[in-house]
Order: sequence, then C-alpha cells, then structure tokens
Amino acid sequence: MTGDIVEAARLIGAGIAMIGALGGGIGVGLSIQGAMQGMARNPDAYNNLFVNMLLGVAFSEAIAIYCLVIAFVILFVV
Amino acid sequence: MKKIEKRQHRHGFFRWIALALLVLTGLAAFFIPPVQPDIKAASAEVAGPLFSLPVIGDFYLTNSLIGMLLVDLIIVGLAWAIRKILKSSSIPGRSISGVIIAILEVLFNLTERTAGKWAKEVFPWFATITLTVLVANLLDLLPGIEGIGLLVPSVSGYVIETLIPGVLSTITRQTNAAQLYSLVTFVRSPSTDLNFTLALGLIAVISIQVMGLRYQGFTYLKRFFNVSTLFSKPGLGIMDFMVSLLELISEFAKIISFTFRLFGSIFAGMVLLALSGTLIPVIGQSGVMLFELFMGLIQALVFGLLTMVFMSQAIRGEEQEETPKDEQRIPVVER
Repeated sequence: MTGDIVEAARLIGAGIAMIGALGGGIGVGLSIQGAMQGMARNPDAYNNLFVNMLLGVAFSEAIAIYCLVIAFVILFVV
Repeated sequence: MKKIEKRQHRHGFFRWIALALLVLTGLAAFFIPPVQPDIKAASAEVAGPLFSLPVIGDFYLTNSLIGMLLVDLIIVGLAWAIRKILKSSSIPGRSISGVIIAILEVLFNLTERTAGKWAKEVFPWFATITLTVLVANLLDLLPGIEGIGLLVPSVSGYVIETLIPGVLSTITRQTNAAQLYSLVTFVRSPSTDLNFTLALGLIAVISIQVMGLRYQGFTYLKRFFNVSTLFSKPGLGIMDFMVSLLELISEFAKIISFTFRLFGSIFAGMVLLALSGTLIPVIGQSGVMLFELFMGLIQALVFGLLTMVFMSQAIRGEEQEETPKDEQRIPVVER
C-alpha cells in the first residue's frame, strides 16, 4: 500500500512519537533543579553535584532520545 | 602599552576574516542555492565488496568506515605530535600538548573522585572512550564532510549538472527528470552509524563485567544471582533474588541505552545541520554548529563518564569506599 495517505500517516506518526520527549524534558528539568538548589546551598559540593547531575541528565535524556530514534526510523528507514 | 595595541590588532584581524567568510557564505548561497541532502539512517557503500567472510557475508567499504579510519588517523597523529613536542621542548604546556594535558588532568580528577584507589585501572577506559567519541562527534562539523561524494542513480533524488565531464558534477534543485541522482558522501561521522555506537556500547559493557570479575572474583556474580539469603530468610530472600535478576536485565538495558543515546543525539545533530544549512544557509547554521560542538562534547563526556562510574561500581562492589576524613568533615563553627 503506497500513496499520499501512507506518506501522511508516516509523518503524523513521527510527530506523535516525539510526544515522549515531554517526559525526558521534565526529568532533565527536575534533576537540574535539584542540583542547582544543592549548589546554591553548598557551593563546596559543586564538583560532586555537577558530575552526578550530568549522569542523571544523561539517564533521563536517554528516554527522549529513544523517541527521537523511533521518529527517525519512521522518517528515514521505513 | 605596546602589548595592548598588539592584542587589539589581532582581534581586529580575526574579526575581518570572520566578516569576509560571512559575506562569502552569503554570496555562495545566493549563486549556488543549497540543496537538502538525501538523509539516510544507514551508512552507504562507497566501494564494492572487498572480501567476504564465511558466516558474516560480504565486506563493503562504507563511508562511516572511512570516517572511523580518519578518526583513528587524527588520534594517532595527535599522539605522535604530542610525543614529539614533549621530547623536544622543555615547556610541555606550550602548544596543543598543553590542551591535551589539561583535558586528561580534568578526566583523571573526575576518575579519582569516583573510583578512589582504583583510578589507575579505570582511567584508561574512560580517557580512550571519551577521546575517540569526541573526535568522532566533531568530525561531523568539518566543512566538506557532508558535501563531497559519489553521485549514484537513485529513485528519489535530484538532477545533476556536469561541470567537468566525467570528473566533477553538482546537484541542482530540479527533481523532475528521467534519471535522478543522489549523493553518497565519502566520509560520514562514525557516531551517526549504529554499528559504531553498538560496538562501543558492547566494548564498554563487556569491559565493565571483565573488570568486575577480575577485581571481585566470583563474588561479583552475587550481584546478578543473589542466592545468599534465599534459604535463610525465605520471604525476603526471594525478593533479593528477584532484585538481583533485575540487575542482570539492566546490564542489557545499558548496552541499548549506550547505543541509542550516542546514535540518536549525533544523528539528530547531523539532520539538524543539513536542514538548517538548506533553510537558513547564511547565519543560522553557525549557531547550530556551535550547539553541535557543545552537544558532541557533552555526549562524549557522558559516554565516558557512564562507563567510568559503572566500572568503578563493578570494581568496588558492595563495600563502602572510605572517603578521606578531611574532605568528608564539614567544619562546624561554634557560636
């Protein structure tokens, strides 16, 4: 089955797949918020908090990147 | 007084170069309108099958493989140059060797804070992975990487215009003709190929397990099959066993998350660069390039950092790391 309707469905599907990035964004925001508050209260802990913040950001960002990869698979591979 | 004058002159000089490049970009985009490249998620074959292996199949020279060779060449050349500088000059921090020494020192301090006394075992993995991924990510930003390649006939593509017959052609914007061509670039950043990131993720996770087994022996396996409390405390023991099985599953999830995090972010950067180069060719792409520089750095650091943290967890095991007393204690001021 080919045609314009399939193309349109593909594009809509890629757009819908990116809704999952919402959760990743919230997660990244929360972890940076926590790290910033910790840094503001205890500036000596900056280095330790920064590394852990990067790790947390990487973990929550991974979820958003899965959505991105699925959107790319829909757009460029299938 | 003289020094300040000199510095101002240098800044002014670079400013004029930047302005000239900007004008040149505008002129180039005006006379040769940029064409959106054909974006593919898989790397394409540049040369035919070189040899074939019995089980795996034919071996092609893909463009991301050429990119990987280029990355290796850059790293080996850098190492050779730094070795030469360190041998000849008495001041090691003068040229590019100073930059590399500074980077390695930052990475080693990070390792020391997490791994403690095992920093020397963990650091080579961390630095190797970070430097390789960093060079591979930044290869994407070199000019000409995405624009020079072979023109191959394809179903969807563009009409080509011959500049020098048989040697040099260029893509035009027309898309309605009998024979259409699309571009297969010679070099592609290895981070935008799923094979490279999967291989690197497998290397990282397997080396984590190997290091854990080496330094903890068979007690490391207790992390995945915790049967120590299964018979003594039947209720909670089953819970412990289930939790340790979850730990085993999370090792496989680590491979997937390593793979897709790097691939997704760098491939997204490639698509963003291509699209912004088509839509806003004059100034817009510079901002995107700056963002991609930052993104490549962060992703390289995150890949190495996660490997380092998991590896030091695997080496250390359950025992608590004793932190130095002077760092741990916060001085309390008596009032």
